Parts: sequence; C-alpha cells; structure tokens
Amino acid sequence: MTTTPRQPLRFGEDPLLWASWLYYQEGLTQGDIATQMGVSRASVNAYLADARTRGIVSIEIDPERFRALSLAQAMQDHFGLTDCLVIPSEGGDSPLIDRLGAAAAQVLSRLARSADTIAVTWGRTVLSMASRVDRAGLQDLRVVQATGGTTAKIPWTPEACATRLAESMGARCIPISAPAIVSSPDMRALLLREPVVAEQMAVLAQANRIVLGISSLRPESTIHSSGFFDDVAMHAHYHAAVGSIAGRLIDAQGQPVDGPLEGRTIGIDLGGLRSVPCRIGVAGGMDKVQAILAALRGNYINVMVTDADTARAILTSEGHDDTPARRRDQTPQPLPERLRVKKFINRPQDAVNETVAGALLAHEDMLAPVTDAPRALRATGAPRAGKVGLVIGGGSGHEPGFFGYVGRGLADAVAIGNVFAAPPPDPILAATLAADGGAGVLHIFGNFSGDLMNFEMAAEMAAARGVPVRTIVTTDDIASAPVDTRAARRGVAGNVFVFKVAGAACDRMLPLETCAGLALRANQRCYTMGIALEPGASVDSQKPSFRLGADDMEIGVGVHGERGIARAPLASADGAADLIVDRILDEMRPAEGDRVALLVNSLGGTPKMELYILNRRLRERLRARGVQVHRTLIGHYYTSLDMAGVSITALHLDEELTALIDHPCHSPAWTQP
Amino acid sequence: MQTFSRHDLTDLFRSLAERMAAEQSYLAELDGEIGDADHGVAMAGGFAAAARALGEAGGADQTLAQGLTLAASSLHNAVGATTGPLYASALLRAASALGAETQVPLSRLPEVIVAMAEGIAARGQGKPGDKTMVDAWAPAAHAARAGLQAGQPATEVLAAAARAAADGAQATRAMMASRGRAARLGPRSVGHLDPGAVSAAALLDSLAHWARRRTEGSRP
Repeated sequence: MTTTPRQPLRFGEDPLLWASWLYYQEGLTQGDIATQMGVSRASVNAYLADARTRGIVSIEIDPERFRALSLAQAMQDHFGLTDCLVIPSEGGDSPLIDRLGAAAAQVLSRLARSADTIAVTWGRTVLSMASRVDRAGLQDLRVVQATGGTTAKIPWTPEACATRLAESMGARCIPISAPAIVSSPDMRALLLREPVVAEQMAVLAQANRIVLGISSLRPESTIHSSGFFDDVAMHAHYHAAVGSIAGRLIDAQGQPVDGPLEGRTIGIDLGGLRSVPCRIGVAGGMDKVQAILAALRGNYINVMVTDADTARAILTSEGHDDTPARRRDQTPQPLPERLRVKKFINRPQDAVNETVAGALLAHEDMLAPVTDAPRALRATGAPRAGKVGLVIGGGSGHEPGFFGYVGRGLADAVAIGNVFAAPPPDPILAATLAADGGAGVLHIFGNFSGDLMNFEMAAEMAAARGVPVRTIVTTDDIASAPVDTRAARRGVAGNVFVFKVAGAACDRMLPLETCAGLALRANQRCYTMGIALEPGASVDSQKPSFRLGADDMEIGVGVHGERGIARAPLASADGAADLIVDRILDEMRPAEGDRVALLVNSLGGTPKMELYILNRRLRERLRARGVQVHRTLIGHYYTSLDMAGVSITALHLDEELTALIDHPCHSPAWTQP
Repeated sequence: MQTFSRHDLTDLFRSLAERMAAEQSYLAELDGEIGDADHGVAMAGGFAAAARALGEAGGADQTLAQGLTLAASSLHNAVGATTGPLYASALLRAASALGAETQVPLSRLPEVIVAMAEGIAARGQGKPGDKTMVDAWAPAAHAARAGLQAGQPATEVLAAAARAAADGAQATRAMMASRGRAARLGPRSVGHLDPGAVSAAALLDSLAHWARRRTEGSRP
C-alpha cells in the first residue's frame, strides 16, 4: 500500500486545485506532480484536464482562489508556518467569524489524530469552530480548557468552547475547575495545589495541539466584553500590549507583557504554549491585524487560519508586496510614471498668498480684503446690518472653493487655510467679525478634524466678543462612511449647495436659528460621491499624492487628494456614472416626480467634455426613476488641485430648498439673476 | 547643575525645525498614502514659524512659559490643520508644566514630554491604537514618567522616550486607523505608517539629541 502524502491545507479538499497550482504556478512537470501528490501521472493529467473543464483553470487560476493561495503561501514562507489556510474575505452568506470557524473546523478535523489531547481557548471564532468540527471517527481524544473559566457574561466562555468541542469530536472534556484570573498570587498558588486542579493542569501540560483565538485590545474586543480584565487598570500596566492570546498579553513584537495579572492567571503560559507541537491560530478582521501579527512574530502559532484581507494586511505591514501575479500576455505595458507634475507656481510656500492676491484682483467687484488678516476675505457688501453673517472656509486647493462662494446671496466672508489644511482660528475669527451684522454668524465647513478644532476655537473667541455663532458641519460624501455613521462622513462638493441654501436664507434676513436649520436640512438631503482617474499632485513636492495603476480607477475619493475607499478596474463613462448614481439613489430613495439639483463637478483635471458625457447618462438614469432635474451645475466647482476625476452631487429638493436654490446670487463661482 | 533656559528653548526649537525640514518630503510621502500629503509641510512650516518667533522675541526677559506660549501660537497660526491645534495644546500644557520660571534644572526637561502628550490627548481625544500621533506620544510619556520616577539623568530618560516613540510609530503600520483622515480609508489604512506618529518620533529623537549635545557642552 502506498502512503498518500498529506495535502497542504491551503488547497482545501480539492486535488484539482492542488494539481493546477503545482502545474501552472510552480511550473512542475506532471511527473513531479504525480510524485508530490502520491498519485499516478495519468491521474495528474486527468486532474489538469478536469480542472480546465471545471473552470478552475481556464486561462488563469480563478483570481479569488489564486489570491487566497498566493497569500497563504506568502504567510507560510514569511512566518515559517507549518501550514496556512486563507479563505476569501468576501463571498458566502455567513459572517466572517462563522466562515473562519468552519475553515478552522476543517483544519482541525484533518490534523487531529486518535489519542490527541487538544487544548482550546475561548472566543466567538473558537466557539463557532467547536460547533462545526467533524469527529472523523477518532478515538481516545481529550479536549482540555487552556485557561480557567470566566464570568458567564458571554456565550463563548472557555468552558463553553471546550464542552462544545468535546461534544463535536466525541472527546472527553477536561475543564479547569478554577477561574482564569484569581484575586491574588497566593490564591493561585493555593488553587494549583488542589489535587483536582493540579490533575487538570497536568492534562493541559500534555496537550499536543492547541486551538487559539486571538484578541485585539481594542475597546470592542472579546477580551474586554468577557470581563477578563474588569478589575485591572489596563493602561497603567499594559500600555505596551497589543493583543491577547490564551489570556496572556503580548506586545507588538510578540514579547510577553508583564503585569499584576501574570501571577494571578490560571492556564497555559506563553512558554508552555510554545512547546505545544501543533498550534492552530484562527482569527480575522482588520481590527485584529496588529494582534495577529504580534502572535505570529512571537511564534505562538504554526498553523494559521485567516481570511484574504487580513492576510494581505498582515503581509503588507511586514513590507511584503502583494502585487497579484498575472500572465505575461495580460499585463498591460505600464505607462511611464509621472514623477514630477508641472505647475504654474513660483515658490511653493507663496502659492496660497499669490492665489488670494490674484483672486482679489480678478473679482474686485465682489471680494475685499479683511484688515490685518491676510487669510480672510469678505464680500464687498458685507456686513449688512441685521443680517445673519455667513462664514465659510477650509483649506486651499479646492478653487473656486471656498472664496468663489463669497458674494451677495452667498457667504459674507471666508477663512483660507494652507493647501488642504484647515485655517487657524485667527483668520476664522477675523472673517467672523467681518461678517457680523449684529444678527449672529453662521459657520459652515466640511467635516475634517482640523476644521472642527480650529472653527470651534474661533467660535469660542467670537462668543467671548459677544458674537453668537452657530455651526453646521457638512457630511455629504456618501462613500466616506456607512449611512449608520453618517456623522463621520466628509463634507465635499455638496458644500456648494449647502452654502447656496444658507446664503439665500441669510440674504432673506431670516433669523440665525432658521438659517442654521435650513443649512442643516440641505446637508441632510445632499449626496455626493467621487471617482478619480489620476491622483492629484502636491503643490509643495509636485509629486502625485498616491499611485494608481494604468487600468485602475479610485472609487470614493475625497477632495484632498486622499485615496478612496476602493480601487476598481477602469470603467466606461456610463459604467462610472452608474456606479455613483446607484449609490446615490439607494440612499436618497426619491419618489416619482421628486426634484433634485445636480452638480457634475470636475476634481480639477477632468475637462467639461467628459462631464457632459457623464451628465448624459445621469439624466437617463434619473429620468428612468422619474426624478426631475431642476437645475444642473457643471464644471469646476470644488476641486482637488489637478486630480483627474469627477464628483457628482444630488440635492434632494423640497419646495423651500428649491426656492432658496433659485434665489439670486452674485459671486466669483456662482452667479444667477 | 545644568539648566534649561529660555535661551535654550530657542536653540531647541531651531533644532526641531531643522529636523522637521529634513523630514518634510518623507512625511509628505507617508501622508500621501493614507492622508492628503500635507503633513510634511505642516510640521516643517509650524516648527520653523515657532523657531523664528522665539528667535525674534530674543527672550532675555521672558519666562519659559511665555516662550512656550509664543511657540504655541506662532506654530498654530502658521499651519492651522489638525497639527496646529494639537501641537499648540501640547506646547501650552508644557508651558504650564514648567511654570513662570526663566530657567529650570535640565533634569526636568522630560516633564515636557509628559505634558505635551497630555495636551495632545486632551485636545484630540485620541487613544493609543487609533493610529495617530498618540501612538508615539503615549509610549514616550510612559517612558519619561518611568525615568523621572527612577531619577535617571535627563539624557537617558529622553533617549528612552525617543526609542519608545520610534517603536510606537513603527507599530502603527499594523493598525487600522480609527481617528483622523485616514480613518475613512478603514482597512486600507493597514500596512502604512501613520505620518503623525512618525513626525512625533522624529521630534522626540531630535529632542534627545539636542539634550545630549547640550550636556556634552558643545554649545558655549
């Protein structure tokens, strides 16, 4: 009888995938593959043919599987693992924890042998695994708790995980009849001398396999919700800890972090853990990357089960380049990278001041300087007695934002920051005083931490001088955070509509509270999303702010040259418009006959030709949904220096907002009778 | 006994500004990956403005607290952004820590690190692990506190704080940002160093080097 070599875990149960990998990726001959797989050469030939007919190998290995395979291989190589299974992060109907649990169950079923002693920690993923593992007809198995017990605040306690695993595998369960954390080192010593506990700990010391969950120390992690550290001032003793494994704390390099708990913890210690021959770690999720990395660096794990995104993030953190391998004939010839972007500037440090100087000269009928505040401008007619003053502002680099929206029917004054940087409080205060007509001042700006801090400080300074300030923070960028955390979203081109609504309300001499309420409503009904085709370039370095492949586009970009939320293959104009309009309609949920104001905005480097092409498709989609477009703005309204790309904003109008959008205005960027 | 005077403060800020100017393009590159590429210019511009203001004020009749307050306001007014309010708050806290003295023993210099870390945490509401400058300042402050308690010489305490900050900055590579601009990138922020933590580590390294030069007496 020939013995079949063990199939590496990462190929799952699929010999076709294994054969395909060896043949197409490793470049082995069919004869070598036959030897490696322990089958005949004819079988290998049949596998490869089958793999092609089943679509595992068509022109290339299925990209999702390829990615998981190559990541698993890289993890194994980089961390010297015995084996590694990486599952796709997307796909499948069940949550990641359950899919990881199922994958770990598969791994344990295949690794476990009769007469094993399997230690197990606790946690959601571990419990999920314990429920799914297959007994596989093994005999004389023992499952032992790797630590003492915790309070029963959670369903995935050490006891529950061990009991469930023992049931699933038909094993004998050995609990640890003591708490995981006891009140003093003396108590620990006392308990460990108890014959029952001592015997259980002796079994634990015999474990030849251990299944480990890995906890981050983020506030939302299992380790905190389980009450494990309830009575410990974590920060005082464990400031260097980034993760927890079997209830022991480790730092970013995987070194043990000592503290008062060490002498009070009952369970396997890190030294004992490392001497277990087979140490299966199962964990995934971006919040755990640092903790998993620490566990891998500390060599606490030699068989890892995780998902593709987590594996990639771990490897990227280690400086591993995860460029997907492609067949040579499919790799497009890369364009020469733009190393330096030419610009009409003098000294970079003078760019903002010279912009302001030029704008004042170009628009002297609308803009005027504010005395002693070079980074504040006011409308020529401001302030007007009895009118609420509107002050806007933010970083430079968005021209015509922000000073383009200063003028009759729009803002009264603007504070100007450095490129993509919030202005400090002084110019904001100067703008506020310049806009004050005695009826209070409204501040409107985008949701960025710098703007929030600086405008807040300026508002306090204005209040101290007797000028009441109300603040509206815009959050229209639907790509920047999910709808349930709407307050975290960025404020981008939707600013233009919010400024317009607020400016019209102020111009109609409405009181401060009413103006603020209308601006807030405009913000809540405003939806923006952006796509970039090329990054912008910094004024300072004249280098592109990030790299984007020749065939890629960046989805959900902000207006500071930031990267977006995702990268996708370059789409057609209609495809790009659809991508945006789908997201906007999903959130806006307009009724038949509803009206919108539309802004098709260049991020700086995209000309009007392309904006008109996009607009055509937008209108097709809106017409099909029965939505009327009341007004369209198209062009450079709120840019990101010279980024090539577009943002599309829809303001969901109601009667009052329509009237305010139609109200006359006269400013450098928006004039209507 | 060696002292830290208002004159030394100007000299220190010149060193910090030089270091930030040297790091400017590296910081811009890091920030380009997960932010908006302005961090280099903000740090360099901010510390240059503070150094210039301290130099112009002369400071013969100023206290350390007045000097640090001047540094805070000139830094803040030069940069705004997020860096401005955070470092302004840090320097104001340092001003109250050193009090209305014209000079203090050099051994108290590590207190500045503790105070600055507190000022940053109070203004930004950030926690360690958020992938921000706090991930460099918090371990540095911890090291500084421990060294002060143990009564170690200032140069050793500052060097230990600088090492802790450098390790903290490296650790941000594996973190997912949960505050600031990079937070909007979510999972895509993992694998990149946080530029704010890197610049903080550079500041602390520069501070440690300055103190070493100062005690070795290379400055008259």
